[in-house]
Amino acid sequence: MDEAYFERLESELDDARAVAERARERGADPKPEVEIPTARDMADRVESILGIEGVAERVRDLEDDYSREEAALELVGDFVDGTVGSFDSRTAKIEGAVRTAVALLTEGVVAAPIEGIDRVEIQTNDDGTEFVSVAYAGPIRSAGGTAQALSVLVADYARTLLDIDRYKPRDDEVQRYVEEVGLYDDETGLQYSPKDAESEFIAEHLPIMLTGEATGDEEVSGYRDLERVDTNASRGGMCLVFAEGIALKAPKIQRYTRELDEVDWPWLQDLIDGSFHDGSDDGEESDGESNADDGDVDTGPPRPEPSKKYLRDLIAGRPVFGHPSSPGGFRLRYGRARNHGFATAAVHPATMVLVEDFLAAGTQIKTERPGKAAGVVPVDTIEGPTVRLANGSVRRIDDADRAREVRNGVEAILDLGEYLVNYGEFVENNHPLAPAGYTVEWWREEFAAGGGDPDAVADDPSVDLADPAPETAIEWAESTGTPLHPQYTYCYHDLGVDRLERLARAIEAGDIDEEGRLVLDRDAAEILEVLLIEHDQHDDRVTVDTWRPFVRTLGFDDALTRDWTVAELPDAARTYDDGENAIRAVEAVAPFPVRERAPTRIGARMGRPEKSEERELSPAVHTLFPIGEAGGNQRNVTDAAGADRPEGQGRVSLELARRVCGSCGTETTRARCPDCGDRTTVDYRCPDCERSIEPDEAGRATCDRCEMEAEPTQLTTLSVHDRYHEALDRVGERETAFDILKGVKGLSSATKTPEPLEKGILRAKHDVSAFKDGTIRYDMTDLPVTAVRPSELDVDVQQVRALGYETDIHGDPLRHDDQLIELRTQDIVLSDGAADHLLQTAAFVDDLLEQYYEMDPYYEFSERADLVGELVFGMAPHTSAAVVGRVIGFTSAAVGYAHPYFHAAKRRNCFHPETTVTICEGGETVHRSISRVVESRLDDPRTDDFGAKVTDLDGDLSVPSLADDGTPTTRPVTAVAKHPAPDHLVTVETAAGRSLTVTPDHAMVRVADGDFDRVAAHELRAGDRVPLAVGPDVAVADSVSAAEDRPVPDGGSVPTTRVTETSIVASDVEATYSLTVADTHRMVANGLHVGQCDGDEDCVMLLMDGLLNFSRQFLPDQRGGRMDAPLVMSSRIDPTEIDDEAHNVDVMDRYPLEFYEATREMADPADVEDIMTIAEDRLGTDRAADFEFTHDTRDIAAGPDLSAYKTLGSMEDKMDAQLELGRRLRAVEESDVAERIIESHFLPDLHGNLRAFSRQDVRCLDCGRKYRRVPLTGVCRECGGDVNLTVHEGSVSKYIDTSIRVAEEYGAREYTKQRLRVLEWSIESVFENDHNKQSGIADFM
Amino acid sequence: MPLETPARIASALAERGFNADRTAITLLADATDPEAAILRAVETVPSGTTKITTDHVERVLDSSQTATESDGRPRPGDPPSSGSTGATESDPSVSTASGENSTGQGASTARPGATPTSPSTQSESSVEITGDITGDSTGSGEYADFLSVFRDRYERLSKQLRGRVTHRPTDALDAMPGGSDGALVGMVAEIDSTRGGHWRIELEDTNGTYPILVLKDRDIASAVEELLTDEVIAVEGTISDDGEIMFADAIHFPDVPRTFSPSTADREVSAALVSDLHVGSQEFAAKAWERFADWLHTDEADHVEYLLIGGDAVEGIGVYPDQDEELSIVDVYDQYERFAELLKRVPGDIEVVLIPGNHDAVRLAEPQPAFRDELLDIFDATDPRIVGNPARVTVEGVSILMYHGVSLDEIIAELPDERANYDEPQKAMAQLLRKRHLAPQFGGHTRIAPEERDYMVIDEVPDVFHTGHVHKLGYGSYHGVLTINSACWQHQTSFQESVNIDPEVGYAPIVRLDRLDATDVGEYLTIRTFSD
Repeated sequence: MDEAYFERLESELDDARAVAERARERGADPKPEVEIPTARDMADRVESILGIEGVAERVRDLEDDYSREEAALELVGDFVDGTVGSFDSRTAKIEGAVRTAVALLTEGVVAAPIEGIDRVEIQTNDDGTEFVSVAYAGPIRSAGGTAQALSVLVADYARTLLDIDRYKPRDDEVQRYVEEVGLYDDETGLQYSPKDAESEFIAEHLPIMLTGEATGDEEVSGYRDLERVDTNASRGGMCLVFAEGIALKAPKIQRYTRELDEVDWPWLQDLIDGSFHDGSDDGEESDGESNADDGDVDTGPPRPEPSKKYLRDLIAGRPVFGHPSSPGGFRLRYGRARNHGFATAAVHPATMVLVEDFLAAGTQIKTERPGKAAGVVPVDTIEGPTVRLANGSVRRIDDADRAREVRNGVEAILDLGEYLVNYGEFVENNHPLAPAGYTVEWWREEFAAGGGDPDAVADDPSVDLADPAPETAIEWAESTGTPLHPQYTYCYHDLGVDRLERLARAIEAGDIDEEGRLVLDRDAAEILEVLLIEHDQHDDRVTVDTWRPFVRTLGFDDALTRDWTVAELPDAARTYDDGENAIRAVEAVAPFPVRERAPTRIGARMGRPEKSEERELSPAVHTLFPIGEAGGNQRNVTDAAGADRPEGQGRVSLELARRVCGSCGTETTRARCPDCGDRTTVDYRCPDCERSIEPDEAGRATCDRCEMEAEPTQLTTLSVHDRYHEALDRVGERETAFDILKGVKGLSSATKTPEPLEKGILRAKHDVSAFKDGTIRYDMTDLPVTAVRPSELDVDVQQVRALGYETDIHGDPLRHDDQLIELRTQDIVLSDGAADHLLQTAAFVDDLLEQYYEMDPYYEFSERADLVGELVFGMAPHTSAAVVGRVIGFTSAAVGYAHPYFHAAKRRNCFHPETTVTICEGGETVHRSISRVVESRLDDPRTDDFGAKVTDLDGDLSVPSLADDGTPTTRPVTAVAKHPAPDHLVTVETAAGRSLTVTPDHAMVRVADGDFDRVAAHELRAGDRVPLAVGPDVAVADSVSAAEDRPVPDGGSVPTTRVTETSIVASDVEATYSLTVADTHRMVANGLHVGQCDGDEDCVMLLMDGLLNFSRQFLPDQRGGRMDAPLVMSSRIDPTEIDDEAHNVDVMDRYPLEFYEATREMADPADVEDIMTIAEDRLGTDRAADFEFTHDTRDIAAGPDLSAYKTLGSMEDKMDAQLELGRRLRAVEESDVAERIIESHFLPDLHGNLRAFSRQDVRCLDCGRKYRRVPLTGVCRECGGDVNLTVHEGSVSKYIDTSIRVAEEYGAREYTKQRLRVLEWSIESVFENDHNKQSGIADFM
Repeated sequence: MPLETPARIASALAERGFNADRTAITLLADATDPEAAILRAVETVPSGTTKITTDHVERVLDSSQTATESDGRPRPGDPPSSGSTGATESDPSVSTASGENSTGQGASTARPGATPTSPSTQSESSVEITGDITGDSTGSGEYADFLSVFRDRYERLSKQLRGRVTHRPTDALDAMPGGSDGALVGMVAEIDSTRGGHWRIELEDTNGTYPILVLKDRDIASAVEELLTDEVIAVEGTISDDGEIMFADAIHFPDVPRTFSPSTADREVSAALVSDLHVGSQEFAAKAWERFADWLHTDEADHVEYLLIGGDAVEGIGVYPDQDEELSIVDVYDQYERFAELLKRVPGDIEVVLIPGNHDAVRLAEPQPAFRDELLDIFDATDPRIVGNPARVTVEGVSILMYHGVSLDEIIAELPDERANYDEPQKAMAQLLRKRHLAPQFGGHTRIAPEERDYMVIDEVPDVFHTGHVHKLGYGSYHGVLTINSACWQHQTSFQESVNIDPEVGYAPIVRLDRLDATDVGEYLTIRTFSD
């Protein structure tokens, strides 16, 4: 690696750190030093998390030669031999190996290896042989599917080394797996739910028994009380390993089983192929992936089996771009563009425009292959879409500007253009190579192999290798025997032999006009469209400008005569693929070889949109300075400072830090003594005997006399007034410097040390907002890029040279803005929004240094170009480790571009799955369990290594919420997420009988004096009041037991109830859930208004901001509170220590001919690994950072800046646009899209609301009391007020008309239409009075 | 295939879209050339008719010179003479003349004194339907509808209980001094267990609610385990010293009086009680049903004059996700067409009554009205009487309560295993009779459509209570009421397999309506099985 580069980064980091250290010494931060240390290496982490001595050393040994997966398998031998870990028993050896494998694969940063694996046991098969069982627990979730699956493989490997037999399941055990996995999926939800036949197949073949502790409440109803299964409830850990590990990651495991002689899982192939139905015979048919292996039997072209999986759970408003393997869909081209890495797919910017702007850089799409999802990147060196314009002309659009010009005149999109995927993507997914489209890269290799000299041609200025003149192309083909150049090769494989004959006749009957165009009968247009030949339509004829290579290919001469007939063609050509594919016939008549132009079409649909926005707490705050109730709903510090309070003007009583000055003994809340200016320390006092207790090394302070935990806080009366004015004076600002300064109500940290208020004043002045740890953050979708042009980054060559870039990718001196340079691994590109935000942050930091720390400013930026070269912290979602990055430039795309190596891991926190949340569906409110709400919307979510899954929503879901002033309102939900649960949760119980279990730092709403404040759940105390949800459209499942504590209005506009108890409980679940609510960030859960959870995204922070302002002391002192905070930082990325997927990026500048040929065999990616180079191959060499690429692109921000999904308004607008686009795309059956929307969106809504109606609660309109059933009194039993329904007809029938319209308009199946009809009948039957029906109203519609 | 057996004649006619009286079929079977006779009968039948009558066949045969004289064989389908009651099962006389279809068990084809009767008297069946929501669904989904349905429930069920206790309204109880005795008829609003393990029941009347405490060590505590919310009970007890709560001494359910004695038909006549055909499902037990339909043409089935179908005639659409993958008939109209065809194979002189179930194309919320006209049009006039779910069907003076049985799931889930389980559905049915309500618990599994009246209240005690839905066979006698759950005609589905439910397929319980008062169930109930 580039040592100078890292040294430079580190030296700048050191400089900055030195400045920050000096500042922190001077300030009154909780700690007098910078609180972000540097990270240790992975091997250490693994050993320490496992507590097995010797692992770290062995891991370091193995790291040099092996991948982490391979190392895990190598370690199995060590454990068995006893060279690592001194385990005697066989079970302990296996257990050690399994835990180590999981630890290695999770880089030693999660608890899965310890908490996720319960135990390993050796049991006895019915035939007397022994087998191994592995018991998993819920936290195995955080290991991720690959590590889960590999843990089974490791156990199996260990078992064979120890000569223990395989597990031979009993029939009822097999069926139990099937039922239980299904049950778990229903109850908790799985990212991937195997079909029953699939589960059965896996269960029958697994050589290791998977088991584990019960995690669910629901019990299986069928296969109960089995001898070898301890529980009748679902075993969550087992189900995860089974479904998300084995079933989902089968291709990945297969890679490793192949490398091991001892372990043989031949059934994995059947599992991958899906050919496990009903035994063996059936297998043949569906074994479509490998019909190329059929050898000599030439039945048809090699094609991967179409897969519909990616279309599952289609979302309304997110369009389908192509049905599985359909002609007209994306055409697979192999190669890696410079802005291409793992899980990305390149499309032409013109395509992005012509799909009505639904695609932008960073938009995620779900794809048919090779992976499940990919981030879209714009690449303009591949082919764009082919469209038919309103005048009938067919054109390929290879330019985004041209696409914009013609957009309104596009009648049909005949072809979506090319879809560039790199070989590494197939490696990563272990997907067999799909036949390559014929492209110039391949042609070039063939041309060279056939004796041509592509380099010489490329140097000839009169010839464009990628776009030669027709005559040149023909000349090349005829003289060298190389297949015809792809530019003139058309999609003959999409044409049947009969249509080829029609075409041939049309050419015979055709003519050449005076302009030299080929004139054909108009009927030929349809065939030309299939072939993707550009042409123009006239009244009765079509004309083709470039026709010579085309007619030559079809065996015609320039006089349009041919010397062949279909009847004369060899049988094999005529009957190839049952006559559906004319390529053999064309080969037979062409005077030169002809390749299949686009054999692989890749189906795709839109996933989630891209993201670029600042991160704020909810609601946003400027400072972590507490003002209690005094600041009003806005938490306005200025108001608090002037508020008339019982404690005195501007004074509030709060639980705050008890700190003591070592010099003068003054007691204060501050980190610096207000009297003598010395540092203070936290004073832990025993709550019983009030002695000061010195905390031990672990930071625990226990009074040995009373055996009580000593407390670092006390109830303090704080003068906000004095602090505020003192702070203003100190930084020399006036109140006019900012519009509003927002503080927090209370502190959630252990010691409750407030942030110096001065920081808040300066943040408010610069309009930036503090996150929970004191930092300022900006979120962006990550996209990879390995080479950049200064020009596209809005920087000039001097700036880039100043960063140490001296040569371009070819090694030429860097002189021009448009030269390409290889991006260094920690250099990042900011979105425009991020750059603006960092500029504001820098201005804040400078003021902070000058006005608060009384030092020189650090940044002194005047324009955004000044940001170039500055260091930032990058954090991927939910990490606890920041990575140092350096700004190299800017992009208008709403994404953060960085090197594929620049990344990390993630985490989150939230609601207990059984929490009932109130949501609005169809204008009415219903209550659902949050797990249901989230699971049903986790549309193939992004998943991270910690297991959190997130799906962004489009506003089709909204929830009752509470505005800052306590006014009930309704806000859309922008995202749903599911997270691995922490070990502990907090249960809050209220006098109204409603209780809630959430993660400890979950935001709750506390009401006092009419203010609605956000506090962490663990901070709520008995006696606090929380708002009850009783607004006009809120329903909750429980009923208020009114006797004890009647909800009473408490100053605000909603009634409140008293918290009776909060308790910390051991987590009994594996996952918690969250919704992200727009604007108010509040929602209703179990009948209580609460805050949502904090959302997390990939983000950047300005280095100096992090160094100066981050403090662990601000973080909630609960498990989970330290997630998403930069507890450590990595100053340099060690490519060997990062996730494997980043290594499966190929780094070649061209793919060899053998590769393209192997794709036609649909070879496994492993079969060509010797001739291919991926990043992994260069690890540990001096070319480790050398990322070559096959495709350039003019601008990494080409195409729309934002997906139409984000710019279109209502849900219905989006859906209509989606369906209309479907109609225009040749590759899309709009009826199927409509069908799927109805299936996944409308029908569940209609069914759900109809069901909800017939078993609904009712509610008093006056006092808000809820009844499970209408009271027989008819009126409210409490207040005598009118009672009304909570689910009305409107919410039930809202979508019925739209659904029926969509079903009719877009041709849904009769089955679906009938379902809707039956629903319509049901709705009428329930809501219409038979005795006074408005007869025949339907007849007039 | 030779056409001499009545069953084959019936299916030949059914294929042509006709069904026919048993006598007509016998006549056709006896013709020298049955095939030709059928053709003629079908060709000459007046247009618009779908049922071939005996008259018609006689005319056809008469007009044809090929018709032979009837051989004088007695014709099945005759009403038995009054003297034969009770003797038929053991009647030793077995005809050999038509031995081909004699399937054992005392099949009596020759009955002394049996003479052909005109079909007109045959079809003059006595079926009376009450308690059917069809055409009277006046609810429009308003609060008032919910209120009226629960008030109606309370009023009608409390009437059943008022005689047993001296009801004090809840507000009167509130005013009563501590220590006094009290009694209350109320709807169960809430059931909670207290920290001490006692039960606290909130009972509700039209004035308010009153809390009842059932101490765990009292005998009546076991009754609490049977309680469901929203059922109506009566409680007697003592008011606590502070006057805040009543300690329960006795809990009364509306129940069926022990003195109940069922009505009977005054002639020998039987009804076949089946349910849950699920036509259109790949698992529909077509063969078993064919055997059943064929059997109905045998002499053994001579007295079966009624066929009652307890819902889920078809598999329906959209009942569960991806259901289309398990359908043999994906179009719901075609499902009903097929079902109607199957009914044509049933002798035309058997009266068929059908209620919908949760798979049928009607609203799921109960009470469920009969099919809409779009579906009714599929059935010919001669086909079944399609009524709502539930419905009270009175045949030959015997009152049969037909209910599909969705609430059984909830009863089984809520009550302890020994009181209700899937293997003995009659126990759950008995619970419904005890509560005198078909679906007491609101807000859970069971969906209700609010109507002016509560159609689910069991006002009058039925003589027979017939359900389906759970696909398990079960029968019993509860205080003299015959309870029958009639299993199903659908083999195990993949869903059922996944939860290890083993359905009982192809059973037709045959009930002797004239013998319901016998002490031994065997005397009035025969379970016919037609499965493989």
